[in-house]
Amino acid sequence: MEPWRGRVSRRDALKWLGAAAGGAAFGGWFDASSSAALAQERADAKAIEPFTGPGPNPHWNSIGPYISEPEKAPLILLTDRPVQLETPRSYFRTAFTPNDAFYVRWHLPEIPKRVDLVDWKLKIEGNVNKPLALSLSELMEKFKPVSVAAVNQCSGNSRSRFQPRVPGGQWGNGAMGNAMWTGVRLRELLDATGVKAGSVEVQFQGLETGPGPKGLGSNVFLKSLKLTDSVLDEAVVAYLMNGEPLPMLNGFPVRIVVPGYFATYWMKCLTWIRVLSAPDENFWMKTGYRMPDKPRGNTTPEEVKAGGVKTVPITRMPVRSFLVSPDGSLKIPAGMNVTLRGIAFSGYGRVVKVETSEDGAKTWREAELGEDLGAYSFRTWEAKWMPKTPGNYTVEVRATDEKGNVQTDEGVWNPGGYLWNKIEKQDIVVGKAS
Amino acid sequence: MLVATCTAVFAQFQSGSYGSKKANSIDQTAPDQMSSDGNFAVASFPSFTPELAEGEGRAETESFCAMCHSTRYITMQPPLPAATWETEVNKMIKTFGAPIPDASAKKIISYLETHYTPEARKQ
Repeated sequence: MEPWRGRVSRRDALKWLGAAAGGAAFGGWFDASSSAALAQERADAKAIEPFTGPGPNPHWNSIGPYISEPEKAPLILLTDRPVQLETPRSYFRTAFTPNDAFYVRWHLPEIPKRVDLVDWKLKIEGNVNKPLALSLSELMEKFKPVSVAAVNQCSGNSRSRFQPRVPGGQWGNGAMGNAMWTGVRLRELLDATGVKAGSVEVQFQGLETGPGPKGLGSNVFLKSLKLTDSVLDEAVVAYLMNGEPLPMLNGFPVRIVVPGYFATYWMKCLTWIRVLSAPDENFWMKTGYRMPDKPRGNTTPEEVKAGGVKTVPITRMPVRSFLVSPDGSLKIPAGMNVTLRGIAFSGYGRVVKVETSEDGAKTWREAELGEDLGAYSFRTWEAKWMPKTPGNYTVEVRATDEKGNVQTDEGVWNPGGYLWNKIEKQDIVVGKAS
Repeated sequence: MLVATCTAVFAQFQSGSYGSKKANSIDQTAPDQMSSDGNFAVASFPSFTPELAEGEGRAETESFCAMCHSTRYITMQPPLPAATWETEVNKMIKTFGAPIPDASAKKIISYLETHYTPEARKQ
């Protein structure tokens, strides 16, 4: 029962309110105090569909329930073991994604729950002159800290848009986030160990493991980059994320940050940096996370079936932009001056232009860009929009990066479900205001 | 006078109603107890086991697939063609080394093809 009911009866209240006429006017108050009015229940809210397909997922996010994981705000569940969580759309209103809302994607079921920093060391080993094992405090004290704002986006972000659909994590658009990462330059660590001549790649391994047989991708997750890749000059072993320790689910105590590259290389709970004298041929390099060696990584099911589609490891993220609000959940009164807000980014360099269209891509207007936080950060944008007449509108947004890459209205298709960057569209209903 | 004004205002809007269906709620969790040692730990990661479609092969699917991952990996997928399900199960065995006997693998494939294709999927 409602606790206050025992203390104030309806009759007492009516008596205090005085006159009989007053009593009648306020009578409705007390009817509403029935248990149904106080419980948090809803009668007519429709649950989202339990799955989407075979057509594309029509929602901005994926369709799982909101759930609560350690150190996290309620996020959208894709899978619970290993943990995969998507960031809801509204968290992208700001250039930096809050740590507790940052999406989560693990590959193997045994993920770290506890790290003892008295024992834990980051090892830099392999084909080096002087292997190193550094504690977190040594990383923080012995090397110069550097910071970089960089977008971490899953290779399969927006996979649920693919037609035909492909198996894999059915992400909506929320498998991405931007943070200010602070840590030690990877090059500085490699220089301290002395990479031997004849080395070709550097391999990253974290603390996640799986029950699969040794040597297979189900046992260990390993990613490597070529030592000649210029991205290594910008890579950071990060111990701070937006100025705070990383949540366990995002890779505490350190993860490798590879600005501009898809998140597959950003090893969480990074514990081994291994210099290799031969190319890495493990599953996660040789088979997984590869894209067709064709423009935009685009192919067709027919071409794949016929065989002979050459593949290469996925690397940089194509240019993308998103409308964050309004998100279509509110009907807009005609004549109201609303603000379209969103973010844009590119793995090829800074975003220089964001445009919106509200007339089916016949005309495009340039949006105002927010603060430039660096080439690999989210860049916020906004544009005023006043729909004058009631009706159904579609707001579209496209971005251009400094290399001249522009988003188009063409999707891509590849068997992995990678590299989606089609122009985003949002249906918005405008209603009569008079 | 008061009554007339009230009626006129009410004609322009409808007040909300309060229903009786179960709410979609997420429980808050209690803050962790911490000590100043070198251990950095979080609470367990919760499980959310989905209900798979009823039918022949469900028990094999639940037990073998869940050796490495939760069966949400099945329910999360869009409806997939039968051939894709066969490829996926074979990938788990051949590429990832899942120790599934042939007879059980056949049952799992048949189960997925019966319940999780565009033609058949209901939940």
